[in-house]
Amino acid sequence: MANTRYDLVVIGSGPGGYVAAIRAAQLKMKVAVVERDRPGGVCLNWGCIPSKALLNSAETMEAIRGAGKEHGIDVGEIRFDFQKIIARSRAAAEKLSKGVRFLLKKNKIDLYEANAEVTGPNTVALQAVEGKPALEVDKLEAERILIATGSGEKLFPGMKVGDGVMTSREALVHDTMPASVAIIGAGAIGLEFGYFYQAFGAKVTIIELEKQMLPGFDAEIAEELRRSFVKRGVSVLLGHGYKSMARKGDLWTVTVDAAGAEKTVEAEVVLVAVGRTPLSARLGLEKLGVEVERGGFVKIDDSFRTTCPSIYAIGDVGRPPLLAHKASAEGIAAVEIMAGVRQPGFDLSSIAGCIYCEPEVATVGLTEAEATARGIDVKVGKIPFRAIGKAVAIGHADGFVKLVVSKEYSEVIGCQIIGNHATDLISEVVLGKTLEATTAEFGHAVHPHPTMSEAIMEAALAAEGEAINY
Amino acid sequence: MSNEIVMPKLSDTMEEGKIIRWLKHPGDSVRHGEPLAEVETDKADMVLESFEDGVLDQIKLKEGESAPVGAVIATMRGGAAKAADASANGASAEEPSGGAFPESKPRPVEKKAAPIPIRAKAKKDAPQPPAPPPPSEEQDEAAREVHPAMSSRRSAAPTAIPMPPRAAAAPISDHVEPSSDGHKFRASPLARRAAEEAGIDLAAVHGTGPEGRITKRDIDNFLREQQLFRFRRIVSPREGAPGSHEELSKMRKTIANRMATSKREIPHFYVTMEIDMEEAVKLKTSLAQAELIEEDITYNDIIVKALALALARYPRINASFEGDGITIHPSINIGVAVAVEDGLVVPVIRGCEQLSLIEIARVAHQLVAKAGRGGFTSDELSGATFTISNMGMLGVEHFSAVIVPPQAAILAASAIKDRPVVRNGVLAVGKTMMATLSCDHRIIDGVVAGRFLQELKRFLENPASLLL
Repeated sequence: MANTRYDLVVIGSGPGGYVAAIRAAQLKMKVAVVERDRPGGVCLNWGCIPSKALLNSAETMEAIRGAGKEHGIDVGEIRFDFQKIIARSRAAAEKLSKGVRFLLKKNKIDLYEANAEVTGPNTVALQAVEGKPALEVDKLEAERILIATGSGEKLFPGMKVGDGVMTSREALVHDTMPASVAIIGAGAIGLEFGYFYQAFGAKVTIIELEKQMLPGFDAEIAEELRRSFVKRGVSVLLGHGYKSMARKGDLWTVTVDAAGAEKTVEAEVVLVAVGRTPLSARLGLEKLGVEVERGGFVKIDDSFRTTCPSIYAIGDVGRPPLLAHKASAEGIAAVEIMAGVRQPGFDLSSIAGCIYCEPEVATVGLTEAEATARGIDVKVGKIPFRAIGKAVAIGHADGFVKLVVSKEYSEVIGCQIIGNHATDLISEVVLGKTLEATTAEFGHAVHPHPTMSEAIMEAALAAEGEAINY
Repeated sequence: MSNEIVMPKLSDTMEEGKIIRWLKHPGDSVRHGEPLAEVETDKADMVLESFEDGVLDQIKLKEGESAPVGAVIATMRGGAAKAADASANGASAEEPSGGAFPESKPRPVEKKAAPIPIRAKAKKDAPQPPAPPPPSEEQDEAAREVHPAMSSRRSAAPTAIPMPPRAAAAPISDHVEPSSDGHKFRASPLARRAAEEAGIDLAAVHGTGPEGRITKRDIDNFLREQQLFRFRRIVSPREGAPGSHEELSKMRKTIANRMATSKREIPHFYVTMEIDMEEAVKLKTSLAQAELIEEDITYNDIIVKALALALARYPRINASFEGDGITIHPSINIGVAVAVEDGLVVPVIRGCEQLSLIEIARVAHQLVAKAGRGGFTSDELSGATFTISNMGMLGVEHFSAVIVPPQAAILAASAIKDRPVVRNGVLAVGKTMMATLSCDHRIIDGVVAGRFLQELKRFLENPASLLL
């Protein structure tokens, strides 16, 4: 039997867990990872990656559809095989999951495919998972335990998945194209699937309780996105709360409520995208006195330590925002802090948020409203993409860049972008913000022409009242 | 290789120095420019900073002990590479023997006592590094502004003199650290800008970012640390170019007008008293050692508290002459003169009669911090009913201040010095301070002034009363 004493046992092999494990191995720890599903977690298998594959199919569809109208390229009748679209997405996920398996092996990290329960400050018990190879051991000893179990799809009370009711997980493998879709929730997941189904011709209705899409985001960005969705033919019901759902023949009838007035939406399938919830239950944490906060987040300190000193937590299970790249960065930070090569603390202010529908939305730092609420005097540099040569040339002149800048030092404290490739553009601002760049650096760094990135340079200049092209 | 650290000559007249506090302990790795110890000299308390990278080996002079200039006070060993290696790569160098990786021991961040080399010195002694962006002529001039009061802005460097190690005369070895001005400052644009606006020399700032990069937070921390030293700073005299003529700034104009008005209209008279500060010094030391409170209580805070008690008993000092009568103010609002770029401001600690010593210290810290970066509300700069000007940190023997109209008096606090005192008929060495009250004779007569000073003296010599 293998030696089951480890320096670190990581529970969960998502973007937080597997990255933490590799970093720990680099720091000469003996590491094990416990995973109950597939290596790579939700991100690779049920989230970021397969959904981006689907969105890529949608963009391709849109490009082809636009070929005749915009470019004069006759493409004839457009047909598609929806099963193939789903299969392609699964293949991408499968490939990357295998990649994670390989990376773990390469770094001499033991992977246990099992359910984990923390039975003591230094003990993880394993239980077999159906369909996985039988376990050789049922217990691991760990100097430290890192909880990286992530989050799961949230449902409203009384909702049951199946028979046309889906979360993102089911939608990713649902390989028949629905004629109509009702989407509850206008967050990232709801909008991405809304865009996807719309692109392939479904009648899409998006239902959102809040008065804007992407609640919490910059209102101007949200409104721009709403207009874009409506223009594509998506029905967007803002300020409508979900009441109930009933099966009527082949369709589902979703009852919503807007300030007392009830309304019904009929659709073949209902996609529930009302957020995610941390997976902190069923790990045995409460028995060890590990404090779990309201909402299910495991309470952690500056060093990612839970209230039990040998147990750490990172990623979705620890605190919002629930984002893969945040989980990876936290995983690295937690392990480096354990090894004493890094000071405690983690800057959450430069974590970008990205939404991959078209137009894309990407944000980092504070919005104008948030900054003002915090008493920071700000100026805003805003540049619409129609002022940018490349955007006009490639036919993506919609959207804009907003740079939120402190008046005191012209520090760039936030950026919101909506437009084509916004999610790629934001990284420049993330780097700049991390390096504490001011508008001078953004404005004076010579950006290549013609590129979409010129919009960021112009926005920096605009914040100082010196924009050239707008 | 072991270097001896000697007691440096920190002032022209210094013959010996006393270690107030070691900021590093044997085994601590010390970086070039990091503070090693606080040293008390005949003039001021200063920070002794390390001249090289290494590890502090032995401390030869204990806290509270004195040694003549040139005496060995500690030894350092090791070069830069070794010290850095030990702290940064120690963890990863460990063998992965079943859970035996080192416990997380991040190096503690030294919160207090950042050394601030004199800006002018750094500029003159060696070629200037590419950063920070050079201040304009005007700013540079302003950087050397001096005012006989507490200082808080760019002129406000507590004296820290790089320590010349004895072994430094040895031939250039393989790990010689470039001179203090030769090393590159990795600093974020934001940090550079904030430093420039605050008049901070980046060479003095310890960076905590990757590879020692200086971030905005380091600048913020630096400024905070500076406040702790505000009463210890020696300000370099302003060097006006001979033959030059300078436009009056708005602040200088205001100062000129108000001071001239005061001397023209207020019949000043001056009363000086020597106050035994032995007990107050002990109080300050014991408060600092107890570490019960975050605030660094200064002598000025102690004097302000004593003033508040004395003013409460002599309301006539807390008054204004108004042509047809004398107004006795209902509240005791003490203005504290603080030197800033091109002049001084007098932020006000309001309602002193209701504030404890800690509360006074807290408010004073906030106000002095604001003096450094601006942002006063008008409330914070007006409504003083009495003012204190403190030149203690400049080693001033005795001075008298000009009353700020329409106040009735101002207290000039000089340095606390070792002076001969007679205790129980025996000559002894005591720590005393000269306090001079400037009074408006239209309101205050000599006997009131004398009694008020006696009262102030009584509180300062029995400082337990200040804690009630």
